[in-house]
Amino acid sequence: MAERRSKPKGADKATPATPATRATPQQPVRGEKVGVYVCHCGGNISDVVDVDRVATEASQLEGVAVARHIMFMCSDEGQKAIVDDIEALGLDRVVVAACTPKLHEATFRRALQRGGMNPYLFLPANIREQASWAHPHSPKAATEKAIALVRAAVAKAEMLEPLDKVRVAAVHRSLVIGGGVAGLRAALDLARQGVGVTLIEKSPFLGGRSVQLHTVFPTEDPARPLVHRLIDEVKAERNVSILTNTEVVALTGYVGDFTITLRTTPRGVSRDLRKSAEAIAACPVKVANEFNDGIDERKAIYQPYPGSEPDLPAIDWATCTRCGDCLTAAGAGIDLNAEPVETRIEAGAIVVATGFDHYQPRPGEYGYAASPRVVTLPQVHRMLDPEGPTGGRLEIDGRVPRSVAFIHCVGSRQIEGVDEPGPAGKLHEYCSRVCCTATLQAANELRKKYPDTAVYDLYRDIRTYGRDQEPYYVDSSKKGVVFMRFANEDRPKVEVVEGANYPLKVTVTDTLTFGAEIEVPVDLVILSVGVQPRDISEFIDMTHAPVGADGFLLEVHPKLRPVESAIPGLLLAGTVQAPMDITESTSAASAAAAKVTALLASDHVEMEPFVAKVDPSRCDGCGLCLDACHYAGAIALQDVEIEEGVVEKRAYVNPVACKGCGACVPSCPVSALDVASWEIDQYKAMIDAITAQPLIAGAR
Amino acid sequence: MTGTPIDTQGTRMLVIATLLCSYPGIDATGQAHMEYPPNTYVIPTPDPVMFPESFYMHCFEKGVDGILIASCGTDSPYEGSYDQLAARIPKVYALMKARGISIRRLKLTAICSVCTKAFLKEVSDMEAVMAELGPVSGEMTAVPA
Repeated sequence: MAERRSKPKGADKATPATPATRATPQQPVRGEKVGVYVCHCGGNISDVVDVDRVATEASQLEGVAVARHIMFMCSDEGQKAIVDDIEALGLDRVVVAACTPKLHEATFRRALQRGGMNPYLFLPANIREQASWAHPHSPKAATEKAIALVRAAVAKAEMLEPLDKVRVAAVHRSLVIGGGVAGLRAALDLARQGVGVTLIEKSPFLGGRSVQLHTVFPTEDPARPLVHRLIDEVKAERNVSILTNTEVVALTGYVGDFTITLRTTPRGVSRDLRKSAEAIAACPVKVANEFNDGIDERKAIYQPYPGSEPDLPAIDWATCTRCGDCLTAAGAGIDLNAEPVETRIEAGAIVVATGFDHYQPRPGEYGYAASPRVVTLPQVHRMLDPEGPTGGRLEIDGRVPRSVAFIHCVGSRQIEGVDEPGPAGKLHEYCSRVCCTATLQAANELRKKYPDTAVYDLYRDIRTYGRDQEPYYVDSSKKGVVFMRFANEDRPKVEVVEGANYPLKVTVTDTLTFGAEIEVPVDLVILSVGVQPRDISEFIDMTHAPVGADGFLLEVHPKLRPVESAIPGLLLAGTVQAPMDITESTSAASAAAAKVTALLASDHVEMEPFVAKVDPSRCDGCGLCLDACHYAGAIALQDVEIEEGVVEKRAYVNPVACKGCGACVPSCPVSALDVASWEIDQYKAMIDAITAQPLIAGAR
Repeated sequence: MTGTPIDTQGTRMLVIATLLCSYPGIDATGQAHMEYPPNTYVIPTPDPVMFPESFYMHCFEKGVDGILIASCGTDSPYEGSYDQLAARIPKVYALMKARGISIRRLKLTAICSVCTKAFLKEVSDMEAVMAELGPVSGEMTAVPA
């Protein structure tokens, strides 16, 4: 296999550094001995498609050396037939007409390798999912279609060229971005599997959002000890370095060999600080305390909770006035003049675990901001925390509410024409998934803690979807939570009622009681706010990581490659990808860690060779392809000696940085670009083969 | 479409399917034994953004009567590719008009990996267009000098 390392160490990794080469016309060797194998798939194909006829028709095609039909091509017998024919007949291309290539493409490529052929000289024809199973009542037509698909495959196969996997030397170290449960879980798994980890967290403290919770469903474990146990395990690993107050400011390179520039903002506080409480008390600055979701205030020097990780305060430089009062009170351990530090690290792969944000209701949305008695569920979580700002008491104006109404789906499942788009101009059309159970957990806790408090639960739809979560719904009914269901187009109205016994009135048209309009007097409305993507646009700009229509980072495929970004070497962990609960987030993190471990298992990374390629004999160096390409360094112009002593610019594709999308192909006015194995002329040959087949007209 | 008589009207439809979205979706349609007309030919591609305008014209000239571009839509894993693809379609339409080809014969759509019903609907719609318009050869004019 060809080893391609396109840069000298320390150079811009996105810049190809291949030496100038002489332009010579590409002359692919056309396949002349194609083996065609038609699978019965038991009867899955042959019960509908006349496989004998398909093989017979294939055998008569020019360039086909042998055509057989075999009961199971994926069986040992089927694979052996390929290997035997390669050796006996000298096949130079192989077509297997069988099931979807998603199932056995790799199987047949390996068979070619065992026969001594380049594995990329194989081509599948999908005659099961796209012929016999799609047209079971039209056997004649399905057979005609199968013949056409085989003809097309042969036509393309004859034009295939042998390819080598792209090989990149790999750095056996990873970067995990985000110090919440997903990032911690990924870091721990990676470390235990022998992969070095740099774990960075943008805020001054580890733990993410989970440490804001009191207990976690469905186990009802106290949240903070659970997270701190994970933190302690990560800290115990020798090959993990943890950097808080740190973010990525630049990123170059590619899978196996990323170079990342990190900026660490100084904490402003060192272990020499012995008088934390005095320093915090002395600070004159007061700002909303984000850890408590704005319920109370904190100082510019602050610590979210005793025993945080690290167990040290930090200075919020955005609000600190550098007055020095904290230093005066503490005497030592505070440095108000520290500057940010930039460091460069290398990593073979990156796990993105940057988490989520809670939806922030608009002013007026269900009375939010119109009354301090309309709060969000995350705020209630902080109130219910015994170590929280109210000591675990749910209280408004110093009193436990007599009556509470939860409203579901606030900022989730939004619809055009009813909801207003957020600041990014987007609606949250998705379900945030975790809110139903979280709401019921809080409702149950309120009923248990305050039996005299009436709890109403107003929902559009409700689903406690995970293992051991349904009991929350059952328990809430048993505990006397009163459910009301509203239609999306007729949402509850929250009004402030001056001078009334209860300060808020919630009016709901309840579909559970056949549309009865019910007025619910309450002391408190709790909005069950959804999950929204965190703004990581700078990182997205650096990496070009694809983002879904919902604003979350997008996986390559939700089922086949669920934690991989389309950017090779970039893995997704947790709520950066979608709304998830802690169980799902840590599962995704472990999956991402496993992917990284497999990726970096050897000293190099191999990638599929389906990347763009340039025919230098056609390329005139116009550079239009550079404009069409969205990936930094994937395509560039370089000097090429076109004849003795004459050097001109020609396009060059960096096979490591290229993603193989083909966006550059149509930009070329002289058709000098193609994607290997997905070439336009190959497609045209397929079309010619399909249209050469007689029309299927009403065939049955 | 399952269980309904299939009359393919003597036409051919090409479906350009993305490896990560619509191709698995079309496979899923077959796996569910949901039927669609057998004159529908699927060619896989990493991303249809790779096809130049001339490719579509080649297809029509060779006798493809309708083309469905089953893209990933805005969920494309490739940065900016859907916008580039969408911007190309009007240029293809212009070429089609110049040759007298109804632009209804080419449709850009998005089909996901589980969008079986959406796929069947798009195929059905294009079948209806092809049935109404007949073979493309009937409306194609000679290449302008």
